[in-house]
Amino acid sequence: MDLRQIWTLYRHEIRSALRERSILLTSIILPVVMYPTLLWVGFTGFYFLEGQAEAMNTRIGVSPVPEAHQALVDSLASDPRIEIREWSDNEQAAAMEIARGRLEALVESMPPGEGGGALDGNRTIRILYTEVREGSRSARNRIEQVTDAHGAQWIAELRRDLGVSDTVWADYAVVMTDQATAEDVTRFLLAMIVPLLTLIMVALAAFYPAIDATAGERERGTWETLMTVAAPRSNVATAKYLYVATFGAVGGLLNLAALALSIQWILSPMTNGVGEEISQGGFPLSAIPVIVAGTALLGLFVAAGMLVFAVFARDFKEGQSMITPFYIVILMPALFLQSPNLEFSTGLAAVPIVNVALLLRGAILGDIPFLSGLVTLLSMGVAVIAAVALAQFVMRREEVLLGTGQGGLWDFLTRTLRRGRNGA
Amino acid sequence: MTDPFVQTRNLTKTFYEESRGEVRAVDGVDLTCSSGEIFGLLGANGAGKTTTLRMLSTVLRPTSGEAWVMGHEVRKDPERVRGNLGFYSASTALYPKITARETLRFFAQVNRFPRERIESRIEDLIDRFGIRDFADSRVEKLSSGMKQKVSIARTVAHDPPVLIFDEPTVALDVLNAIELRQIIAALRDEGKAILFSTHIMSEAEQLCDRIAIIHQGRILAVGTLDELREATGHHYLEEIFVHFARVRDPEEAELESLRRDRP
Repeated sequence: MDLRQIWTLYRHEIRSALRERSILLTSIILPVVMYPTLLWVGFTGFYFLEGQAEAMNTRIGVSPVPEAHQALVDSLASDPRIEIREWSDNEQAAAMEIARGRLEALVESMPPGEGGGALDGNRTIRILYTEVREGSRSARNRIEQVTDAHGAQWIAELRRDLGVSDTVWADYAVVMTDQATAEDVTRFLLAMIVPLLTLIMVALAAFYPAIDATAGERERGTWETLMTVAAPRSNVATAKYLYVATFGAVGGLLNLAALALSIQWILSPMTNGVGEEISQGGFPLSAIPVIVAGTALLGLFVAAGMLVFAVFARDFKEGQSMITPFYIVILMPALFLQSPNLEFSTGLAAVPIVNVALLLRGAILGDIPFLSGLVTLLSMGVAVIAAVALAQFVMRREEVLLGTGQGGLWDFLTRTLRRGRNGA
Repeated sequence: MTDPFVQTRNLTKTFYEESRGEVRAVDGVDLTCSSGEIFGLLGANGAGKTTTLRMLSTVLRPTSGEAWVMGHEVRKDPERVRGNLGFYSASTALYPKITARETLRFFAQVNRFPRERIESRIEDLIDRFGIRDFADSRVEKLSSGMKQKVSIARTVAHDPPVLIFDEPTVALDVLNAIELRQIIAALRDEGKAILFSTHIMSEAEQLCDRIAIIHQGRILAVGTLDELREATGHHYLEEIFVHFARVRDPEEAELESLRRDRP
């Protein structure tokens, strides 16, 4: 292997790519600027809308309530955001009004359930609402707050009538204390966001370079020019592979760097200032080498995988359609990672992509089981070698070099197997 | 007599196509090309010219037969073969995002031209092909004539002894085509062995020292223009070509004769 020749080919690929506006945009500009901005806009928009929903007036139907609980209706009516409508119709009519959005919820006072009749005047309050409308959910929350306060007040009055003093009553109380510091919350949020974004960014940053290095060469007419230089095909393939892997890994790392620098700004609408903890140790520095290594591993794997698919394409459009299924498949693990209960087990550490995502999450949370980390490195190492070997094998084949074969990777493998069987 | 720079023996290439089955694109081609010679491959579209040249440049692997470039066999030593030749065709484009100078440097480096001589070589090529004014412009900004000069310069950047020109004038206007032919003739005079394919008869007449008439993958005749004239009794290359093609396809010749004789 002539390293100097590979370096020449690699530099040539990188130089051309850095002058290509579309590649620069998707692999460098978007990771650095666009995604932090998009995240901020997304979070801000979400919390703005939620705030809007909070401030929105709520129409609540109230069916007749016994005199002893009239205070509940008065409390509801005292909230300026609640508009009370006396409801005398049946429940079905109310359900229809709620479904149509003309009413947010219905409050019904019903006789108490089993065992609930021990106290005079006890009632069951039923709230009819729909979970599928934000306004209705918000109405339920408001009613719940009022009914909880009313219930507590009613019980306190009954207790006093029964002669149970406040001191005796206070002996039984439930007090909740959240032991998570702001720093912990920040880590938790980052552990959810960073692996997902790293996967997306590495895949996206490698996407266009992979097409550019293969179908792009064909479309420009430079493929045959390159095939006639005095370099072994393996050197050409290696240089192309390193070029795509570089863009994938660098794109991912640039995105993470941009996120790290702007995380306070991004998370501020979400955490009410928790984002400030980032600068005070919310982001563990010990995670950085693991994140860099994990991103590099992802870049190496994704680059080989994408090249294997893209090399069959004759133009950019074909390249996009051939790579997209692979792109979607490698993003799938991100869906699983949204469950915080998912453990970084040795079994999962053997699954490529999933393992790196879990490794990144573990690095941020400061919890990487040694064996799982080791299995991740081995598994990704094997996956990268296998993917590179497949890419090298495919790129040396004449029909691939000339773009004369029909279809993509699957058709190629089928044909090769068929020929192998016939040959045997 | 010195050894030929290029030699093929019974060179054959078959493809498999889903619709047509096995297709024999090149069928037992024997040819030689020596230093200071332009060897023309003359044939219609689909005759097997490009496939032959692609095998010589190792882009395609021969199904059978052998071919040598500067003594290196195309299947056994493809990198050395490519290092000894420059390949130019209408389908070998330039990288649009790099400059003319960067293009020459890249092709000299990747083809392993001695490092210490690369910069002086680039300057020589820039002067020789009149590239100086746009040497630092990106290729995408150049006119087709300028691109053609850069393209030829990159073909010879590593100073290969063998040059292959596959239908080089196909996409060129008259003036650029003339200029290109002059350059090719000058390269021949420097001692390069040049393989030149074309379907344009006048081009072959003007430029080639020897001509091979290739039809349906087979070389039907090889010789200087005078030798071909003598063998067929025809003066113009077009007539000579048709003569050999008819000999190859007697049925087609008979049909053609009948069509001509019909009142």
